[in-house]
Amino acid sequence: MGAAMDMQSLKKHLDLASPAFEAELTARTTEAREFAEVLQLCTLRKRALMKGLIKGPGKSRRVAIVGGANLHPLVDLFEHFAVVLEGVNCEVWTGDYDNYHAEIMDAESPLYEFNPDAVLLLPSERRCVYDGPLTSPRVEQEEAGRRLAGELLDLCTHVHARCGAEVITANFRLSPYFDPGPMRNTSLISNYAFRKFVNLELGARLPSYVHICDVEFLSNRRGNLSGVDDRTWFESKQPFAAGLLVDVAREYAHILSSLTRAAKKVVVLDLDNTLWGGVIGDDGLEGIELGTTSPGGEAYRDFQKCLLELSKRGVLLAVCSKNDYDKAIEPFEKHPEMVLRLKDIVCFKANWEPKSDNIRQIASELNLGLDSVVFIDDNRAEIEIVNQFVPEVSTIWAGDDPSEFAAKLKDSRFFEYRNVTEEDVQRVQQYKQESERQQLLNTSTDMDSYLGSLEMVGTIKPFDRLDAPRVAQLIGKSNQFNLTTRRRTEAEVLAVIADEQYSAFTMRLSDRFGDHGLIAVVIGHASSEDFAIDTWLMSCRVLKRQVEEEALNEIVRLARDRGCTKVVGRYIPTAKNGMVRDLYPKMRFAHSREESGGVQVYELDVAQFQAKPTNIHVNQEAYAAAGSNR
Amino acid sequence: MQQQEVIARLQDVFDGVFLQEVEVRRELSAKDVEEWDSLTHVSLILAVEEAFGIRFRVGEVETTKNLGDLADLIVKRLPQV
Repeated sequence: MGAAMDMQSLKKHLDLASPAFEAELTARTTEAREFAEVLQLCTLRKRALMKGLIKGPGKSRRVAIVGGANLHPLVDLFEHFAVVLEGVNCEVWTGDYDNYHAEIMDAESPLYEFNPDAVLLLPSERRCVYDGPLTSPRVEQEEAGRRLAGELLDLCTHVHARCGAEVITANFRLSPYFDPGPMRNTSLISNYAFRKFVNLELGARLPSYVHICDVEFLSNRRGNLSGVDDRTWFESKQPFAAGLLVDVAREYAHILSSLTRAAKKVVVLDLDNTLWGGVIGDDGLEGIELGTTSPGGEAYRDFQKCLLELSKRGVLLAVCSKNDYDKAIEPFEKHPEMVLRLKDIVCFKANWEPKSDNIRQIASELNLGLDSVVFIDDNRAEIEIVNQFVPEVSTIWAGDDPSEFAAKLKDSRFFEYRNVTEEDVQRVQQYKQESERQQLLNTSTDMDSYLGSLEMVGTIKPFDRLDAPRVAQLIGKSNQFNLTTRRRTEAEVLAVIADEQYSAFTMRLSDRFGDHGLIAVVIGHASSEDFAIDTWLMSCRVLKRQVEEEALNEIVRLARDRGCTKVVGRYIPTAKNGMVRDLYPKMRFAHSREESGGVQVYELDVAQFQAKPTNIHVNQEAYAAAGSNR
Repeated sequence: MQQQEVIARLQDVFDGVFLQEVEVRRELSAKDVEEWDSLTHVSLILAVEEAFGIRFRVGEVETTKNLGDLADLIVKRLPQV
């Protein structure tokens, strides 16, 4: 249903010659798992090419495909995946059905006339069977398996010696049938055990210019039985059922392009709701969800284990989080259930600067190209800003179910190394030292155009009785962006609403990714000339979105309405609100005095104040509903 | 599902397989469509099976002479309600 509807929109893009066609074609092709869908995408792509709506990729390779089965439509699917997912145009030469021995061994064959850069080989599965006596000893069965693997590798070697091409050969899937029962794994006479043995032999003796298209694995992954279609073998010599054809074609294309593309080297991690549940700045060390005491906590822990495994293979781990540094490192140092510790992190950025800037800096400190970076975050907006401003970086949106994080990482295919060396194992330590040596300045990004592209809508509204429970809840739990940390119960919030001397408002924010809900609470107290900010708190999720500016515009507007000449702001320091220590001076308030307990008092002259334009479209209806004349 | 309905649904399948526009009708056969050769035929039949969620028996598609015959075969292979 979903797939069919998406296809309609793709067809529409094609009919209207819309530039959105190409991106959607790529998205649909990435998702597509079934034959008819891929075939249709392939047809639509060819139509778009004919119309001139898209161009083929500039990069081109000469690819020959030979094998023991009918290579159509496999080769058509392969070409589609190579073009759309890997950006490789293929000029293809297709061998005849089951003629690969002759094509490879004959120096005069059209295969060599074609002069391929890469040869895809699909060896005959039906000849990969044990044909010795059933009573033969195990060593003879193994010898038969080794011989078969050796013959296949000889063919590959021959191709490479003759024309220098890289060879990608399929291995063998295991029989999905019950036969021969108990002997399936106790001897090699079954098509199941024999092929498994041959596959292991192939892998163990693989020369560097031969690459395995792991059909055994692909078939297991899809379900062995569903990869089999004996009827299409009998009718048109199809090697696999339609679904497995898609998987194998996709894999050939993936391997072909991976030959010329380096694996990723560093994974940059968000913290809150990515490595643990909750917000460390608000929930504290005891409040975050992590560890075996809850199912969610266990999932986060498992994800961390998965990252640590990557690190052992030589993938560098870095952190990029919107947090105070001191808060952010606390779990790494003190939480008993943390799997990752500071020693595992080569570069740790916890601040309030845009993540795109931080990621640039991480890459620069580690001396790595941006195209070797993968960024993981649970927040779609952060993923989007990185996609937009550092498009070289690959991103994984973790989603909102931590039980799926590890699987998403393992299926991302970003960290597929061909082997692990001693150097890989030591790399993490080397990079950590390198990073500690360097302290570079932030580069800044064009934040303004990003914020504009978010299409933010803010709704500012005086408190009313219906808001009271949610307002009291926020007042009770906000710690970081909270200038005075004055707690009020729901009843006390209702009292503020009833008291004429208070002007209090809430702010909601939405953007094109969704609704952030109620994200700011301000309570002002007017007395003759002074408009004192009793409470000003905000959700950290919307930091650096100009919400503060919009809130201040509203504070001054209310002060003017009340005939006040000064806005008075207080910063009451706590263990957790360090991030707003300098909020008032940054917003051009003048420091007035210090009160007991380190409380800093600031003042703003209402007459001098000029409202700051922002990228937030403020919902005017809210003002009208409040009976205001703005 | 009747032959007519099946033929109507086959239009979608044909659109997904052939680059040229092919209008499906009962009398249509491979000789009427330039792209419809033995290679695209394999794809077409696989796509038909997927679209209708059916399995043909070995050799039986070969016996159909035109789209009307194929539609009858599809009807025969659809699960009985």
